[in-house]
Formats: sequence, C-alpha cells, structure tokens
Amino acid sequence: MLQQLANGVFAGSIYALFAIGFTLVFGILRQLNLAHPAIFTAGAFVGIELATRLGLPMWALIPAVAAAGGLAGVLLERVAFRPLAGRDDEHFAGLISSVAFGGILIAALQARYGTEPQSFPTEYFPNRLFEFGGIGVTLMQLVTLGLALVLMLGLAWLVSSTPMGRAMRAVAENPRAAKVLGVNTGLVTSGTYALSSALGTVAGALLALNIGQADRDLGASIELIGFAVIIVGGLGSLWGAMAAGLILGVAEALTVTYFDSTWKGLVAFALLFAILVLRPRGLFGAVKVREV
Amino acid sequence: MPSPLLTVEALHVSYGRVDAVRDVSFEVPEGGLVALIGANGAGKSSVLGAVSGLVRPRSGAVRLDGEDITRRPVHRRVADGLVLVPEGRQILGSLTVAENLRLGAHRRRRQAAPEADMYRLFPVLDERRALPASALSGGEQQMLAIARAMIARPRVVLLDEPSMGLSPKMVDEVFTVIEKIRAQGVTVVLVEQNARRALRVADTGHVLETGALAHSGPASELLQHPKVVEAYLGIE
Repeated sequence: MLQQLANGVFAGSIYALFAIGFTLVFGILRQLNLAHPAIFTAGAFVGIELATRLGLPMWALIPAVAAAGGLAGVLLERVAFRPLAGRDDEHFAGLISSVAFGGILIAALQARYGTEPQSFPTEYFPNRLFEFGGIGVTLMQLVTLGLALVLMLGLAWLVSSTPMGRAMRAVAENPRAAKVLGVNTGLVTSGTYALSSALGTVAGALLALNIGQADRDLGASIELIGFAVIIVGGLGSLWGAMAAGLILGVAEALTVTYFDSTWKGLVAFALLFAILVLRPRGLFGAVKVREV
Repeated sequence: MPSPLLTVEALHVSYGRVDAVRDVSFEVPEGGLVALIGANGAGKSSVLGAVSGLVRPRSGAVRLDGEDITRRPVHRRVADGLVLVPEGRQILGSLTVAENLRLGAHRRRRQAAPEADMYRLFPVLDERRALPASALSGGEQQMLAIARAMIARPRVVLLDEPSMGLSPKMVDEVFTVIEKIRAQGVTVVLVEQNARRALRVADTGHVLETGALAHSGPASELLQHPKVVEAYLGIE
C-alpha cells in the first residue's frame, strides 16, 4: 500500500510537471497548445540522444534538454500561434495548427529514430535502491521528485515575484494594458512558450529516464492523464496542476494494486468527473495565474 | 521656431472599410498641452491609438522629436518616453497598486523605489499600495492609471478621456493632476468629451468631426468660436 502510494507520487510528479507547462500557456495567453505532448516526447528522445552520442552526464543532460525545449517552444509559438493573432477564429485555428506542429514533430522523430523504442545507455544512471520503512525507492525516483518540486516551485516563484512574472500576469489579465505600460508582449509570449516547453521536455526526459527508454507514443501515454490533471487542478492554475498531478498519480497507482491495470484510466477519469461535479472550476479554480 | 516634439502627419486610420481618421495633421510643441475634442466616434481615440502604437495607421506618419516612429512597437515608444493613459483606465485589477506602478516603471528598474515619487504626487495610492487595484474607486483607479504612466518619466503623455465616468469632484482632481503634470514640463495630448474643461487647460485645441479636423487654433479662441460653442460647449 505505502509502496504503491510512493510509486503514485513519483509518477504524479511527472504528470504535474507535464501539466504545469500546458496550464502556464493557457493561464497567461489563453491558448491551448496541443503540441505539448509531442514536445514531451521530443524531450525524451533529445535526452537519449544527448546521453548516447555526447555522453552528457545527468547534471548536464537536464539543462540541455530544457534549453532545447525552450527553443522548440519559441519556434512553436512563432509558426503555430503568432501568425494567427487577430483572426476571428484564432483560438480554434491555434488548436489545429498546434496539433499539426505536434504531428510534424512526431513524424520527424520517427524519421530519425524509426518506430523502435530508444534506450538510455545501460548503467547511465546508478541503479540504486533505498529502503524507507519497507518502501523501496530508486535514486532516479528521488531525483525525479526533487527536480519536479524544484522546477514547479521555481516557476511559481518566477510568476509571483519577478519582473518577468509581473509582466506575465499583466499580459494574462489584460494584454492591451500591459502593452500600454511598455511590456514587450511579444517577448512575454515567447518566454511563456519557452518555459512551458522546457518544462514539457524535462518531464519527457524524466519519464524516459525512469523507464529507461522512449518511443514515439510516450506523449500519447501521458496526454489524456495530463489533460485530466489540468482540468482537475483548474485550467490555468499552477498549484492546481501540481496537486492534481500527485492526486491522479496516486489514484492510478492504487487502482493498479487493488483492481487491475486495465482499470487505470477508468478510475483516473472517474475521479476527473467526480471533481468536476463537486467543484466545476477544478480544485484550485479560484487561485489562478489569471483571474476569470 | 523650435521643431515640435510630436508631429502627426496626414494620418489615416481605418478599421476594415470604415475610415475612423482621415488626413489628420497637427503638431505638439515640447511642454505644450494640446486638446483633441469632438463627439463620440469622431476619431479622437483612434488618433491616440495611432500615436501610441496600439493601432497601425493606413497611411501618414507619427514623429517624435523629428524621428519617424510610425512603425515602432508600443513598448519601444514607451521606452522613448511616449506613454498612453488608455480610455477606461485599463487597471490591472488582480495586481496590487504597487505592482501596477512597478509595471509602469520599466525604464527605471535600477532605482530602488521608483514608486516613492508617485506616492508623493498621489497620496491616496500610498495608503492603498498593498491592495489589489480592483479595490480602488473609479477616481482612484484613474489616478493610478496616470501615476502608472508618469512613473516612466515620460516626455509625452497621451490622456484618453481621463474624466470619463467620474464624479464632479473627481473630475476636478483629474484636471488638477493634469495641470501638475504640465507644470513638470511634460508634454500632454488630452482627448476629452468634456470640451470646455479641456480647452481651459490646453494651449491649443483641435476639433475632430467624423474623422477629420474641423477646427484648430489656440484653445482660448476655440472657446469663443461660435460653431465650436454651438456644437461642443453649449451654454454654460
């Protein structure tokens, strides 16, 4: 039981990391970036590539993956969202063009790596197991949880307490007013996508590190649960995404233990609907990056 | 004659097929206060939109200190000292008063407390600095909007309908603030529905009618101009 709880927390921290990147873009820019799962998948492959070809150690790997993700995010916004600005159907069109961007990214990964799963080098990360009162925990899991917490708290701090965060909140509330005050809204938009995609790629790389490999369906495996996390947490809420990620991670792990792994999705999504019925705006619907 | 600080040349603004501004030209000398008056929908706000950079004109030019800034993005105009106080105030209600001010202070980020000067000018904001700006009254929000623009130490302030929706007492306060801004040597372009009040504080006035300039001249003369009196000032 405790062991499953712990496993759920570790999985949940990756869900949360995936979800905060997605919810950040929505909270600040009111855009739904459906390329996020593809960015997540690409993060895993970039991690494997850098570890195998360049032999980057773990401490350098994560920043490098984040940097690649940041660049991808800027590019994504430039090609899939910015050209649509001002159109009547800009929101719907953005959904479609981000799906397209994600499709291109996945196709490119397939062209490069084929359909076979790619693996991290054996013994890439010390496979050490710790025991805490009967619960077995790998070093990788601890690193994942720690990194996820640091990144999520770091993001929350950035949004609440830095000039960049202040500008982001201003854009979230009223882009026109922010512009008039001298905020470079184009830069804030690029920056938001860079952060979001950096978090997404790191989440992907961490998942791949935990399971040792990645294939092109990695993003699809987290997509639905990740979006459920976002809705349960309250779209646009950073704290909500963090809490909901952990809750769904644990719920999934417990389902696998007490029922069967085929029930995994069912319980997670039943939870989604239960929360939506009880709290239609999500767990943290009131505490948002942007007020509704 | 020194060259004007702000020049608007043959400005055309259209939204789709509708011409909002047609062939409008005027100059604003450094330290001057120019009022744009006219009925609702006459194009006053569109002129300010084009000058501030929020609206891209179809043709014509905007010059600051002789330099063509027609295509310069809004944030760079703000950095160059050209700041708009938008119609309806556009306060960021979920941010605190202090955060609203700090956002306006982009250009002065190295200074420790750029807000201090503004709190001196607007004591009411000092008392409320930690509150979300949405908690302020309409008049206080207008003061915050002006303070937020002034904190950038602008050379030119564009005021779009600053007295709109305010009580008579607050309107008085807003006009007192406008005169204070002016006294600091800051150049002001004032768009107002309250034409009489605007012309009383301005040196020069321009009357817009359906997007074009109908009358221009020293404010004191416009206050006496029979047609302007009839259409915009009425009997006091």
